[in-house]
Order: sequence, then structure tokens, then C-alpha cells
Amino acid sequence: MSLNIFICGVGGQGLVLLTTVIGNACAKSGIKVVTGEMYGLSQRSGAVSVHLRIGKDAFSPLIPYGEADILLSLEAIETLRYLEYLKKDGIVLMNKRIMHPPIETSKLITEKDSKYVTVEDIVYKLKEWTQNIAVVDALTLAKESGNARTENTVFLGCLSALDAFKVKEKDIRESISEAVPKKTIEQNLKAFDLGKQSAHGSLCTLVPCRPLP
Amino acid sequence: MVLKDILSKEKKAAFMLGNEAIVRGALEADVKVVAFYPGAPTSEVLDTFSDALSNFDYQMEITTNEKVALEVCAGAAFAGVRSLTAMKSVGTNVASDTLFVLGYTGVKGGLVIVMADDPHAHSSQSEQDGRFFGPNAYIPMLEPSSPQEAKDMVKKAFEISERHRVPVIIRTVTRVNHQSGIVQIGELNRGEFKKVKWKELNEEYTTLGEVARRKKLKMLERTAKLAEEFDQSEFNFTKQADSDVGIVTSSVSYLHVLEALRMLKLQNKVNLLKLGTTYPLPKNTIKNFIKNLKKVVVVEELSPYLEKELCGIAKEANPDLAIFGKKTGDFSEAWEYNPNVAAKGIASALGLEYTVTEAMVEEAKKFKETIPARYPTFCAGCPHRGTFVALNQALKIQVAKGQEHYFSNDIGCYSMWIYPPISRGDSSLCMGASVGVANGLSHVIEERAVAVVGDSTFFHAAIPALVNAVHNGNKFTMLILDNSVTAMTGQQYNPSTEFTAGGRQGKKISIEGICKAIGVEFVEVVDSYDVKGNVEVFRKALDYDGLAVVVCRRECALYGDRNKRRRGEKIVPFYVDKDVCKRPYVCLRTFYCPAYELDEDRQPRISPELCDGCSVCSRLCPIQSVKRTEVKA
Ligand SMILES: Cc1ncc(C[n+]2csc(CCOP(=O)(O)OP(=O)(O)O)c2C)c(N)n1
Ligand code: SF4
Ligand code: SF4
Repeated sequence: MSLNIFICGVGGQGLVLLTTVIGNACAKSGIKVVTGEMYGLSQRSGAVSVHLRIGKDAFSPLIPYGEADILLSLEAIETLRYLEYLKKDGIVLMNKRIMHPPIETSKLITEKDSKYVTVEDIVYKLKEWTQNIAVVDALTLAKESGNARTENTVFLGCLSALDAFKVKEKDIRESISEAVPKKTIEQNLKAFDLGKQSAHGSLCTLVPCRPLP
Repeated sequence: MVLKDILSKEKKAAFMLGNEAIVRGALEADVKVVAFYPGAPTSEVLDTFSDALSNFDYQMEITTNEKVALEVCAGAAFAGVRSLTAMKSVGTNVASDTLFVLGYTGVKGGLVIVMADDPHAHSSQSEQDGRFFGPNAYIPMLEPSSPQEAKDMVKKAFEISERHRVPVIIRTVTRVNHQSGIVQIGELNRGEFKKVKWKELNEEYTTLGEVARRKKLKMLERTAKLAEEFDQSEFNFTKQADSDVGIVTSSVSYLHVLEALRMLKLQNKVNLLKLGTTYPLPKNTIKNFIKNLKKVVVVEELSPYLEKELCGIAKEANPDLAIFGKKTGDFSEAWEYNPNVAAKGIASALGLEYTVTEAMVEEAKKFKETIPARYPTFCAGCPHRGTFVALNQALKIQVAKGQEHYFSNDIGCYSMWIYPPISRGDSSLCMGASVGVANGLSHVIEERAVAVVGDSTFFHAAIPALVNAVHNGNKFTMLILDNSVTAMTGQQYNPSTEFTAGGRQGKKISIEGICKAIGVEFVEVVDSYDVKGNVEVFRKALDYDGLAVVVCRRECALYGDRNKRRRGEKIVPFYVDKDVCKRPYVCLRTFYCPAYELDEDRQPRISPELCDGCSVCSRLCPIQSVKRTEVKA
């Protein structure tokens, strides 16, 4: 069986780097992996997504509808944009962070009773699709690691806690050290650990995890 | 990928992007000259060669356009040196004048052209199907489905190119270029770069009239030989099953088909022919495959290229064969495929049930409708935002005075001006066309035409149209947005940067210098961040009774940020002083910087993580409520 992870977020959040780190770690662990990456254009703040497929019987770079085991969203609103990929009752691993697109804000200033979408709204809606929702305050954890730009690595930590994620931790750590800018290796490793720990409070109550050492 | 794998001397398994695998394949083939103009989805080929440059002895150029890139490579190949270029689908249109003659002249050194189509127009102006370049120019074409195949085919393409003395096209699609996977990399045996003595080669590369007619016959012979050779190619393979049904496919569709067969529980239950050499087609291989079949389903994106060929071959080899594909309506010529599209098409061709996921997609749609769209927009700190805000204000003043406008946009980050919330633009075609079109419009419309191009686009394709305008006395306004780099494709260097491939020194070329030298009489240079000041300059340029050019200069914010980080400089964010802000919303209404949102009191708030510190919003606030964060020394 393959593990299918659909990753989404906003340009500039480091989805591609996250994919690279996981892919490299798979190569080290001798695990087959294929990805399909949609960068959008090169600007920040557009929608970005990656199909990540780990395991032998994944062929296409694109996950078939309804076959993603995990929908990982680095930005909360984006979660609702790709539900067709997620299995019914699949896992949503979602950032608490919302980046309101300018179009939403411009509506707020023209329409008095218009309101921003909130994380609660999003979770409420998601529950129609799945009950397995873990919300991660990745920005806070990233800042705690000393670098606000490590939200992606926090999520990698969360993933690494999962039983179904067969990549060896040693290989992930090595891969982080090879892929991120030298000056930020320490911060990224810390973000990874913080992410892993946080999973044990939330994600791991939903799905089987590896025990903490 | 990490650069380490690109440089690795040993054989091993590495995780690579399709584009990186292309680079690795070329390096293993000892490529010596590479030249590119960037364009999604091939830009990472350029970027990777540029990053690796200091470790190797190949010559690399980031050229002004694709035609020049191909010619740089042709020059090297004429002298027997291996060369490679990569371009996006529409880049091939620009290079095609040269491409067609190379079929006639041939080459000596291996010349490989990576041509990446973009089904779904993810990052292109059209869904052009470039496979027709192969047969049209008599240039052989290979199509990989995965990074591994991409690497292997590039390497093999150099051999084919030299054996048959013809360039070889590697035709990819976005989902191959931007697919990553495990690639078995081979040995890296690099020879030393040596200059060649041209006279000693005794070669010629001419074609015209009588010579062309002679060479055409040779070209036909060459193609026949290639077709025979491709019948033996490892890039075409079959998977046999005990069935009278077959599927013919190529490129990434092959991977979607494998997935679809799994989903339809048809694995090992139908025959499969995967084609890797799609021009010339391996006719005998295809004949043998279809000989004993009753039904064949052709799965290919865009036009029915294989399907048509197959119909022709079947007439001879198996006239009763039922062929399913686009003509039968099982597949569409529009948009890219995925496993579900492949499964649905195969099921419909074979009369099987397949409905499950459609309901899911429908249901998911409901959720999408509840969230705001996230259009691509200018980055925080982008100079284009300032330019357009000033231009909009100038246009408004002009409209009040009775002057109306046609807005001729072009291809670059500034194309995003067509997206909400600030949708604007009367036309936007292909690189450089904004200026060409403005020439024509200036003859026939009463309004003033305003053409906009970026620095890269200016050098790529706008200069001839500008010369034309001066020569013919055409009157319009042209803005040249000089942000130092080719931003939209990933901030590559261009003639407006003082650097070139690999970060080496390059000669920076003055855009205003060119305009003046051509004879443009109104040429102004402004700072894109000076929104207020620029309104007046733009107004003058709109009023000017002649051709008026304004060069709007300021570095791309992403490029600038990267430089700042490298130099260890901090980006100092701005903030809205809540006590001062009375919510006139000028910042939001006119500027739409993505760093802005509203707080609980519906006052604008700037996310310090997103703010680029450009200061432009602070200059626009009528009550000075936007301030720079104090930094402790
Ligand atoms: C013929 C062709 N080649 C390449 C591209 C890819 N492409 C899209 S925008 C762009 C360049 C944009 O550079 P510039 O004009 O300087 O604008 P910027 O993005 O920097 O604002 C390129 C190369 C294309 N669309 N057409
Ligand atoms: S990449 Fe550069 S030019 Fe393009 S939108 Fe961002 S800042 Fe502007
Ligand atoms: S200073 Fe203002 S306009 Fe510039 S990036 Fe920050 S919030 Fe945006």
C-alpha cells in the first residue's frame, strides 16, 4: 500500500523544500516515492500544492480523487480547496494560521457585515468530510525554534510521528541538514522536534503513532 | 534534490525533480555548452545548471530569448561540441525559425532540445501541443514519463543526435518536469573542455533553394532510418496480457494509465504499449502490437497525435480494429489528464462502470464555494504594484480630462494586473506582443494605447516593435518595468542584471540607452516606489503627442530579499499605529498588499512575517498611520 499525502499552502511557505526533504529521506531509506508539484507562478501568496506518494503501488505523480490518506495544509483556508483528494474520514493536518487573500479583505471593507473565515468555521465544515482533524499552531512552534520560516519543518515533525510514515528519523534529520540553508539547520532540527512532540498531543489521538523515545 | 546529487561522482539512487534529472542526464553525457531562456515548466533546468556551474567546465548562457539559445547550441554542435537547450512550449515558437533549418543542415556534435508543453496552461498562455514540431521539422522526438526516463532519454538523445547528425527533441509536459521521484544516477565521466579548430572539421551547414531540395531528400532517408532504429528502442515497450484489448499511451499519461488500471482492477488484464519515441513512430512495433487486437484505447493529452497515426497504421495492419480515443469522445483534447480522467476514459471505451469519484468531486465543490479565491498577486514589496497604482491614478485623471485608453498588457509578473481585485487589461497575448499590438491600435482607435513590458520581455521580443513604432511615427505610451530580473519564472538574470549564469559578472545593458539610441524622444526613468511622483510623469507620457516611454525601475522584491538575506541585512517591517489610524482604508483600497489584513477592530494590520518593508503603503496613507518598526541597534 502507498501513503498518499496531499500538501497545500500559500506560495513562500516552503512546500517544495518540505517535499525535497521528505523525498531525499525516502531515497536514503530505500523507499519509492513520487511527487507532482504545482508551484503556481513564482510569486508569493498564490495557492501552491504538492501530491506526495510514498510506496510501491503509486504510479502517477497525481493522487487519484479520494485516495489521499492525509491532507496537510500549511494555511487553513487552503484545506477546503482540495477536499476531493482526501479519503472520507482521512486525516486533516492543518495549520492554525490563516493568510487572508486581498480579495477577502477588500470585501470586508466594502461590506459592513462581511466577516473573515475563521479556523473554527473551517473545522466545522471539514467535519462533514472527516472527524480526524488535527490543528497545529505551527507559526508559534516555528518562532519557538528561532525561525518563523520553519513552519514546514514543524509539519514534517508531525508527519514523522505517524506509524504509517515509514521513513527513518535519522534519514529525515540528515535530509533536513542537507536541504536547508546552513545557518538555519539548528533551528530546523528544533522545529522538527517541536512538531513531533506536538503531534503526540493532537494528531496521535486520532491515528496510530510511534511511541516517543 | 540537493546539489550534492547533481554533482555526485558515484552511481546511486537520488530523489530528483524531472528538470534536475534532465540536467544530470546531460552532465553524464558530458554536455559542454548549455543555453536557455527561462520559462515554466523548464526553468529549473536553467537554475540547476546555473547553480552547478562553478563545479564544471561547461559554457553556459542565459540568452535573450529561445531562438538565440538554440542558435548558441547550434553553433557549438556545428563544431562537434555537445550542447543542450530547454524551452517551454511557446518558447519553441520563437526558436522555430532556426529549428526548422536545423533539420536540413543537421549537426555534428549532439544537440538536445528539451521542449516542455503545458497541458492545462498552468503557467502558459495556451495549451499548445508541440509534438507537431517533430514531424514538421523532421526532427526526432523522445517523450519521457518520469524523471528516471527523462535522465535516460537525455543521455541517449546525445548519441542518437550524433549518430544521425540531427538535433533531438525531448518533449515533456509540466507533470514530467515538475514530477519528482527516485532516479538511479549513473557515472559522471567528464572530459576536458577544449576548443576546436573549425577548418579541420571540414563541415558546412547551408541550406537554400537547390541545396535545400537536396537536403530534403537526405532528411527523408534519415527519418526512415530512425524509424527502423526506433523499432528496436528500449524506450518503447509492451506489457502483454491474455486479452484482445490494448492501450497505447506515452508521456505522463502512461503513469496515469497504470494508476487507472489499478483503480479499475484491470492490472495485467489488458495489453499495454508505452511509446517513448514519438517521432518517427516505431511503425513495426505498433503493427505487431495491434495485429491481433479487437480494441485499442489511445490515452494521450491534447491533440490526437498518436491516435491519427495509429488509425493510419491500423488500415494496413488490422482494418477491423476498433480505436477509441478523442474521435470516439472517450477523451477530451482539452486540459491535462490525471488518473481519474484516464480511468473514466478507459472505462467508457470498454463499457465499464466508473462513477464513484465524480460524486466526490461534486461534493468537494460545495466546500470550495465557501472560501475566498486566492488569485496570484504581486508579492509584498513588489515594485509593479506601485507602478500600477500610479498608472491607474494617472489614467483616472486623464479620463476626467476626456482621454480614454486601451491597456495592452504583456507576459510577466505584471500580467497579474488582470486578476481581481484590480482586474484591468484589454489584451495580453504573448511576449512582446503588447508593443506590436499598440502599433496597430495607434492607427485605428481613438483612445490612447498604453503598452506595458518587463525588462526581460523588452530584450526578448519588444525591441523590433519599438523600432517599428519610431520608424513609422506611431503614437502610444509604453512602460518598461525594469525589476532587474526575469521575475515570473524565478528571478533569473537577464541583460538588465549585472550578473549572468552562475552569478558571474555580466554587462548590464541600459534600457533607456537603447530607447534613446533608437530615436524615442520622450524617455523618462522613475522609481517604481515613488507612487505620488510617478502619477505626474505618467500623465505627461499619456498626454505626449508621440511615442512616450517611461522606464519604471526597482528591483523585484523576491530577488531583493534574497540578496538582503545573503548580505545578512534585516528586513524591517512596517506597522499600523492603531491610535492614529482612522480607517480611511486608503492602503487597502488602492494598494492590496498581501501583508495587510484587518484586525478585530477592523483596523488594517500588517503581518510582520509577510511585510517586506518597502514603505510604499506608508507613503500613501493620508494621515501617516503606517510606520517603520523601531529596530534596536
Ligand atoms: C516565448 C516565451 N518564453 C518564455 C515565457 C515564460 N515567461 C513568462 S513571463 C516571462 C518573463 C517575464 O520577465 P519580465 O518581462 O522581466 O517581467 P517580470 O516577470 O520580471 O515582471 C517569461 C520568460 C513565455 N511566456 N513565452
Ligand atoms: S516575483 Fe518579483 S516582480 Fe514578481 S510579483 Fe514578486 S516581487 Fe513582483
Ligand atoms: S511596507 Fe507596506 S506595502 Fe510594503 S510590504 Fe510592508 S505592508 Fe506591504
